[in-house]
Amino acid sequence: MRHIWQSIKSLWRSKWGFKTALLYLALLLLLALVLPLLPLPYAPNYLDLRHPFLSPFTAAAMASGHPLGTDGLGRDLLANVLYGARTAFLISLPVMLGATLIGVALGTMAGYFGNGGLKQPLHRVMCWALGVPALLYYGLYLPLNFSKWDLGYRHAMLSMVLLLGLLILLWLVSTGLKRWFPYWRKAVALPVDKAVMRLTETLTSIPRFVLILVLASFIPPSLPLLVLLLVFTLWPATARLARAEMLRIRQLPYFEAAQSIGNRPARLIWRHALPNLAGPVLIAFTFGLGGLLALESSLSFLNIGVPATLVSWGRTISSIRSNTAAWWLVVFPGGMLSLTVLALYTCSYYLSQVFSSKSSL
Amino acid sequence: MVVYLLRRMLLAIPTLWLLGTLVFLLSRMLPGSFGEERFLNPEASFYSQSSQGSREAAFIEYRQRTGQHLPLFYFSFPPVSQPNPHPEAAEEQPSPSSYSYLLPQFTWNGTSNQYHRWLSGILTGDFSTSYRTGQPVLEMIWNSIGNTFWLLLAAMVVTLALALELSILMAKKRMQWLRRLLLPSLFVVDSIPMLVLALLLLVLLANPDFLQLFPVYGMGYYVSESLSIWQAMGQRIQFMALPLLALVLVNLPYITNQVYSSLKASLQAAYTRTARAKGLPEHLVIRRHALRNALLPLITIVSDFFPALVSGSILVETIYAIPGIGRLLIESVLARDYPVLVAIILLVLVVRIVAYALADTAYAWADPRIKRKLA
Amino acid sequence: MRKINVALTCFFLLLFTFCSQPERAPEEVRVRMAVEPETLSPVSYSNAGALQIINLLFHSLLSADLGTNEIMPYLAKDMPTVVRNDSTTLFTYEIREEAEWTNGSPVTAEDVAFTLKVAKAPLLNNESLKPQLEFIQDIRMDAANPRRFTFVCSGYAPEMELLTGDFFILPAYLYDPENLLQHIEVANLNGDLSELENDEKLKAFAAKFNSPDYGRNPKLLQGSGGYTLENWENGQYLTLTRKKDWWGNNTSNTQHLTAIPQRVSFQVIPDMTTAVLALKNRQLDVLEGIPAAEFEQLKQQDSFLKDYALHTPDAYEFTYAGINTRRPKFADKRTRQAIAHLLGIESVIKVSQQNYATPTVGPIPPSVTDFYNTSLRPYTFDPEKATELLKAAGWVKENGGWHKHINGKKEQLTIEVIYRAGSHSYENAASILQQNADQVGIPVQVLGVESSLLASKSRQHDFDLFFRSLGGNPFAFNFKPLLHSNYAKEGGLNYTGFGTPESDRILDRISSTVTSREEQARLLKRLQEIMYEEAAFISMYYTKERVAIHRRFANAKISGLKPNYDVSAFTLKED
Repeated sequence: MRHIWQSIKSLWRSKWGFKTALLYLALLLLLALVLPLLPLPYAPNYLDLRHPFLSPFTAAAMASGHPLGTDGLGRDLLANVLYGARTAFLISLPVMLGATLIGVALGTMAGYFGNGGLKQPLHRVMCWALGVPALLYYGLYLPLNFSKWDLGYRHAMLSMVLLLGLLILLWLVSTGLKRWFPYWRKAVALPVDKAVMRLTETLTSIPRFVLILVLASFIPPSLPLLVLLLVFTLWPATARLARAEMLRIRQLPYFEAAQSIGNRPARLIWRHALPNLAGPVLIAFTFGLGGLLALESSLSFLNIGVPATLVSWGRTISSIRSNTAAWWLVVFPGGMLSLTVLALYTCSYYLSQVFSSKSSL
Repeated sequence: MVVYLLRRMLLAIPTLWLLGTLVFLLSRMLPGSFGEERFLNPEASFYSQSSQGSREAAFIEYRQRTGQHLPLFYFSFPPVSQPNPHPEAAEEQPSPSSYSYLLPQFTWNGTSNQYHRWLSGILTGDFSTSYRTGQPVLEMIWNSIGNTFWLLLAAMVVTLALALELSILMAKKRMQWLRRLLLPSLFVVDSIPMLVLALLLLVLLANPDFLQLFPVYGMGYYVSESLSIWQAMGQRIQFMALPLLALVLVNLPYITNQVYSSLKASLQAAYTRTARAKGLPEHLVIRRHALRNALLPLITIVSDFFPALVSGSILVETIYAIPGIGRLLIESVLARDYPVLVAIILLVLVVRIVAYALADTAYAWADPRIKRKLA
Repeated sequence: MRKINVALTCFFLLLFTFCSQPERAPEEVRVRMAVEPETLSPVSYSNAGALQIINLLFHSLLSADLGTNEIMPYLAKDMPTVVRNDSTTLFTYEIREEAEWTNGSPVTAEDVAFTLKVAKAPLLNNESLKPQLEFIQDIRMDAANPRRFTFVCSGYAPEMELLTGDFFILPAYLYDPENLLQHIEVANLNGDLSELENDEKLKAFAAKFNSPDYGRNPKLLQGSGGYTLENWENGQYLTLTRKKDWWGNNTSNTQHLTAIPQRVSFQVIPDMTTAVLALKNRQLDVLEGIPAAEFEQLKQQDSFLKDYALHTPDAYEFTYAGINTRRPKFADKRTRQAIAHLLGIESVIKVSQQNYATPTVGPIPPSVTDFYNTSLRPYTFDPEKATELLKAAGWVKENGGWHKHINGKKEQLTIEVIYRAGSHSYENAASILQQNADQVGIPVQVLGVESSLLASKSRQHDFDLFFRSLGGNPFAFNFKPLLHSNYAKEGGLNYTGFGTPESDRILDRISSTVTSREEQARLLKRLQEIMYEEAAFISMYYTKERVAIHRRFANAKISGLKPNYDVSAFTLKED
């Protein structure tokens, strides 16, 4: 770890590109954090209905306090561009982080265990196989229904109590089976790799907007839904990458050595595999983030419910469709978007160099 | 090798069946169903064209005629019936069934269900007909897949060729300036959302106010006399230029980046050093030795390219008015035309599975070390 | 370097070929179509584009003439004669003598009877037409005149006259050459039809008729209209050509029966931005529904105006806000009036329609002057008035929100606005309401939902407030299914739950016993007053259509009725 930190420091000193990019990102992050405290003349969602489609830097725009102009509803472009950065950081970043975490976790597991690596005694497999559906039904499905009918907490509590009872019963039964029936002690190999691969294939084959529509039938279109869905559809890419890398790393001599001295799988993955994975994952992360920053512009094009109040660069950009002459709606947020993405790529480019030089050691 | 490929395909069949079932059931979870809006909520107008009752009757008749009244699956899991809207009232009169909702109830439907019909239809080669047009699903997909396929194939070939050439150029020592220029600009292109890119190309290159180089939309006009092959092709290229450009620009940055980094890695490898030591000129070192090894990761990229593009071409097809599979998909989802919807998703799945299998085989073919492992 | 040179030469050669735009035949009219028709079957068509095309291929007995905005006899010789009996009404028509099918055989009453059978029989793909013709019980042929017949209809409603003529007549010789439906009587096609479902001949006909051929095959889509389908290129375009010698050319005194352009081609362009660009490129001749902002832009461009004429007819489509009166918090009409004062209709018109709309007080279009109630003023944004009304309705402002005790529970006044996702004008209206209500202290949540979800939410009365549009026409004003409280049950079309005893009485009168236009005007004006007062179904504005038509065409018959122009009437101007 110290080695990486040192190379980053030397990068900072020697490469001005890295320095500018990092500074820009830090500034943007700072801006996103302190933005609500800044004295902006207009809130991003304030509709100045007297001044729709103001072009920027004109006399009218300056006089009304919209230096960058307004969109079709008179929303101030300056405020929207700045708050869009906030959304980019507060939504896109966590989404991508979540997707990367899930993807790396599942991908490394699939790559490490393969189809025969993870062995579990039969009784525990049964315990999980029965417990998860029960958890879903009593822990998720019923309470969701109750909240839809406004039934109050009594029924939800009842179902939770039932769930707890069932889980305890299941645990008791499985320990009993383990103790008295040797058959249930037999270890079976779980096809982790196959399961993860099939899951990624399915998820990437079903178009995202179909998934959104299916999910929208349970939950109304809202920010949490959007976040959930994006995480849900973005992790497979990272998972595939992590799995491929894990397969490669597993063959490397140093890893085999670490394995042979009896390290536990968790430690093996954490200490020996993950640092080696970081480079490619980082590239995937930045590319994913870049795509994510403007994704909702495409989503709203397909008539998919992105909350209309969500301030984002994508929303402003896609409003060009109602008036193709309003170039400023694309240029300013699009410029910010490109700059941010460029900064991200520059950072990841140099960082991946750091990682690749380390792994070749 | 062929045996391996065949085995891979055979093994894919159960997966396909499982996923197909999943997609079939999942698609029915979309809110609303086909015809609901059409028959029950006709364009509400100033005068009643028909009574609500007769419309409902017609809707039921329609569902019966098309078999949509049947239960979905072999067993159904009815939605939890609402126990009692007023729990206070329930406490006064405790009814024995008020907690029955805590146990899931299953009903057995037998073989007369929609899934059974659909599956047995597929096994006999009948993918049923579209609810919207009444045409056989396969025919509809066949009609629109051609356009998408040629577009995607052309986009892939152009993108790969460009990516290869660009990375070879960038890998040369004296082309440092090109790399400095090209990589950031590729990143910038990558950051432009596809929607904006497609619209931008339209506004810039097919607009009399700016540059009018290409036709705006479609795939050609109606001409009464038949064209020769060359003329038809010329027309086709002319109309396909913009969508092709959009697809290439969208995919170029990522692929170029990947090719370039793997090319760079193989330039540092021992065999390249040997080749260089032999005194080969730089461009021959790159083309003969480094490139061949750098192409391996390309297999994965290409295998990902095709399936992902099907959903990626939705935007391009809508904006440039190309009747392709993406547009068919979006239309059938919005109308809840389940037979078409499920068939398209299954098709994408098949393409994906085949592409992955081919990629594995290609790896084995290219790298004997992997071949041994597969055998 | 040599390679680069070759590449450059190729590129410029390609560019050169691209720049040469294909020559266009001037007598061809090119029209944009947003969605490809699913089928052109005159019985089961499902969208407006298909209707526009079928109108060129087939005829109904009566139809609206876009030149005059009046109902005119098309296939019929005159308007029907109406005889009202106790429980039935008789409409007697006579078909034009000249009218003939593509093969030259005359259109007769037998064809009308055949059409009715197709529309009413079981097993056939006719479910969208069937409910509409349920009221026609029987058809009586005139023994002396093969073109004369009488519809026997149950009951009476003012719009029946229009409805008896409002379906396409099919050629029996082409659709049923084996006479499979001959043995079935129209009178037997009412009520329970389960016996007929086993009829072998009907089954044979159904197998044929339900095939997609009957909605796609140019050989089968041959009606009495002046055009035939020439070519249907999947997902790209449909072209129609004029029949060589069409009977309509020989009829006298019929300005509305026309087939003038040699060829009409409908281009499928789903995206509006693309369509506008295609129009600017002169690739289209006609484009309707141009977005307001783009329309303003086009108006400024002289080079464009030299080639295209822009029209803004008053459309018969209006946007309204519906408030769910069943929700206890909206039960008081003063609360609803307060919300109506927060809609900011004038801003919505300015911002999202660029003033291409007319505010309205009720569902009657302001352009229909004798029915429109001019004594009412459309709701305008007025926060003081809204506050006053809220206070009067018993709401108390505390902690920045409005609260009230309803059924013993303290409730806060909040509004959840739903609209069809992707529609900009609704989204704008919702945002404006949100901002206006926020000034008064009512939190508003804005939700764009997918259209079928919106439909099911409206049907199940699971909403606070929605924005929707309604299309209409200037002929019939029977709002009973939309506004009568009998239709307010779950599943009925009266989503808002509007209805007072008086409005119900008025709606009943209008739909049955009104005799004179004066009385109808009086009733409709009173209805507008009640609706204005109740503020459950708040009509906001009537839009103006925005159409561009190439200047080489004259006689476009611009109208507020869909599709806003009559392409069959376009004549080439002589230079």
